[in-house]
Formats: sequence, C-alpha cells, structure tokens
Amino acid sequence: MSDESFARLRRAAPALVLLLALAVASLLSGSIGGLRLASPDRSRVDQVRNAIGNLPDGALVLLAFDADLGTYAEIRATTRSAIDDLRAHGARLAIVSFTPEGRAIAAAERDRMARAGEVAPVDLGFVAGSEAGLVRGIESIIPAGAEGDTVDAVREGGGGIGAFDMVLIISGSDISARSWVEQVGMRLPALPMVAIAPTFLDPELEPYLRSGQLTALISTLREGVAYTETVAAGSASAPGPIVGSLPMLVGLLAALGVLAEAAFRQLGRRSRSTVRRRGRR
Amino acid sequence: MNGFYGTDLAGTVATWVAALATIGVWSYLVGWRRLFVLMQHLLAGLATGYLVLLAIREVLVPRLAVPLVEHPADRLLLIPALVLVLMLIAASWLPRRAVAPVAAILVGGLTAFALGGAVVGTVLPQIAAALPTTSAASPDLLGEVISLVITSLVLLAFLHGAPRGRLTTRAAGVGRWLLVGGIGAWLGFLVVSRLSLLVDRVAFLLGDWLTVLK
Repeated sequence: MSDESFARLRRAAPALVLLLALAVASLLSGSIGGLRLASPDRSRVDQVRNAIGNLPDGALVLLAFDADLGTYAEIRATTRSAIDDLRAHGARLAIVSFTPEGRAIAAAERDRMARAGEVAPVDLGFVAGSEAGLVRGIESIIPAGAEGDTVDAVREGGGGIGAFDMVLIISGSDISARSWVEQVGMRLPALPMVAIAPTFLDPELEPYLRSGQLTALISTLREGVAYTETVAAGSASAPGPIVGSLPMLVGLLAALGVLAEAAFRQLGRRSRSTVRRRGRR
Repeated sequence: MNGFYGTDLAGTVATWVAALATIGVWSYLVGWRRLFVLMQHLLAGLATGYLVLLAIREVLVPRLAVPLVEHPADRLLLIPALVLVLMLIAASWLPRRAVAPVAAILVGGLTAFALGGAVVGTVLPQIAAALPTTSAASPDLLGEVISLVITSLVLLAFLHGAPRGRLTTRAAGVGRWLLVGGIGAWLGFLVVSRLSLLVDRVAFLLGDWLTVLK
C-alpha cells in the first residue's frame, strides 16, 4: 500500500469505524432490550390520534405528499402508520403532490401499497405552481379524467380542498405545512390540518401548533417512533423498519465524542497561546 | 425492508443499484472522488429527466394542450398561457426584452402569493399568539410573558445599523445570544435527524441488500 493510500485510509478511519459500529449496532439492536427511542411524552401522539379518531365515518382525507427525498426515511414509518390509522378509521383517502419530489415518493408509496395488496389512495396527481397551485387547489383539485366513488364525493363537496374533512400534510420539501397554513389555512380556517415533518422542520412548525393553526404535528424522530408503536399495536400491517435505538445511541455517543474532542482541542489551543503570551512577557 | 422494491427482477435490480449508489457516495470518505462525482452526475441527470417528463406528462399535456385542443372555446385564457410557455421555451433565441416580462410575471406572481401568505398566515397570527391573552389566573401566563420577552429580544437583535441607545444595544446583544442558543438547539435536532437517515441507510444495506437484518 502506498503512503498516499495509507494516509487516505487513516483520514477516513473515524468515518469507517462509525459505519462499522452502526452496522454492528443495527444487527444487535433487536436482541438488546431496555433501550427505548419512543418519546415518553404522548401528548403529540394523542393529538394526532384524536384528530383522526374524531373524523366522521367515511371521512374524506387528503394526503398532501410533499416529502423530501433526502429526509423521507426519517418520517417514512410515521407516514405509513398514519395512513394505516386513517384506513382503520374508515377514511377515504386521496393523494396529491405540489412538488416533483413529493410526487416521486407518492408514486413509490402507491406502488408499494399495490404490491402489498392494500387499497391505494385515489391519485390526484401533481399540481404545478407552488403556492399558486395550492391556492388554485382550493377551487379545483381533481384532474381531468379522474373517476371513482371518492372522486365523486370530492366533486359533490365542491371539487376543491374544502371538500375534505382533514388534510394530512407530509412535509419536507419547499411546500411544507407552513405553506399550507399560509395559503390554505387562511382561506379555509375550519379545515383541520395535521402535519408529519422531519426533525429539521420542527422549530419552523411548532409555533403553528401552539397558535392552533395546525391541529396536530409529529415532527421529531422520538414522537414518530411513539406514534408508530401506538398504531402498530392495533394494526395488522407493518409500517416498515423503524430506526433502531442501539445504532442511534452509538451514533449520538460518537457525535458527543466529536464535540468533546473539538472542545478540548479548542481549550488546549487557548491554554497554549496563553502560556506563550506569558512567556513573551 | 423499506418496502419500495418488490421481490421480482426489477425490484432486485433496483435494490442493487440503490446499494451500489449508496456505497459509491460513501466512497468519498476514503477519497475516491471519481465515483462520488459519477453518482452526483447520475443524480443530476435523473432529476432533470424526471422533471422534464413530469412537466410534459402531468402539466403541459393534461392541463394545457388537451383542454385547448378539446374545448378551445371554453379555455380562451389558456391561449396567453400557451404563448408564455412557448416564449420561455424559446428564451435563449428571443430578445431579452421579449422574455423579461414573461419571467417577471412568473416570478412576481409566485412572490406575491408567498409574501401575502407569509404576512397574513404567519406574521400576524404569530404576533397575536406571542401576546399574553389569557387571564391573570392562567397557569400559562408566565410562559407567555417569557415567550413575549424572548420574541422581543430576538427581534431587537435584527436592528442592524439602526440608531439605538445603550439599553437597546444590550437588549439586542441578549437577543443575539438567545438566537445563537436557538440555532444551537436546532443543530442538535439536525444531528439527530441526519443520524437517523444514516442508520436507515445502514439498515437498508444490511436488510434489503444483504438480507442479514430482519
């Protein structure tokens, strides 16, 4: 091995060791008990479950699927659990996307449901125009040629977003729950809006939950795991893999180690420069 | 299993491609930039192709071309829309003066929606929510007052360059530190989020690809 390759491997060693540790932790995750990733605070979970539980029989629910390809893995299990939860309450589902990325994920999820033998939500397709498209959707959201009982029910209700009893917003990309609150919430204030979002959106969306502009919100990994576990306990279908608690613990310990190492290095530099300054005097 | 890939040949090929792409991106860790750059090009190419297909299949044809062909008399407003789309397509050949108004309409329209929504849907309701509105007996009154104070201090931190006294300067300094604390907490959230994505990828390689993780 040349010196350059060896130096390259040495530089990459911490990252490779972390990957190896995560792989081992993932393999051991199922066999080690006592670690719980689910949030012990169930208030957010209860809010979502109440919002879904309060829906009337045969309620029309719009899944606004605008997740981000990079972060969808974080909310995938929560989203699938929410869809299962809605189905278990007899909701009639329709799916729409306002971003190209969201459309790609929505199509993949519909394919997955079809493969699993589940009834896929009615496809309302992709609506272009970002915020303008959202506002247009309030008047009309059904694409030309769409048919079926759910579509007929939406047409009877006016054909727009207002025909739905609830919107479940799968956030992550440019058109997030914030866009829904700003564009749709102000025009349809009685429409309950529930959001599922990756953790990085939590500081942005939490104020809307506190002000009542969002009915319910799940926006951290621990809340998502708590919700998934709660729904999975009464459901026959599986939401897919949930992030293991042991690899998360290993990763967080590694992150803390990096932080501590950086802090000690900084302290060391400061003390050395102080000693040098005193020496000069 | 994340459930996105079936067990048929197409699903198996997709799993292998996804696994090799993941390893290709991670190869950057050991300094193999060529493979990483190749993956970047692959992503950019696929994304561009997908966007073009989406625009044609789900927007231009069903929402513009078909209504114009089937019911031209009822869709007169779509004719100027068609002209605008054609002008944007031919933007590289047309003079700038002809294309600029079209781009201005596009950008101006979107900005108006975003700005209007931000003021009416976020700024005003959030100001109202930040004000203590409950009665003095409310157990949450203290929290609301603290929230109002923090909001005010952070807003003061944004008074860059404006003339201000010593008290305001100190309050802005406190607001700046509160802002830094908030950003730090947000970065903490971000670390947890990104870590969960990395763990998911590792689980994908072990579960979906190598099938050693159940």
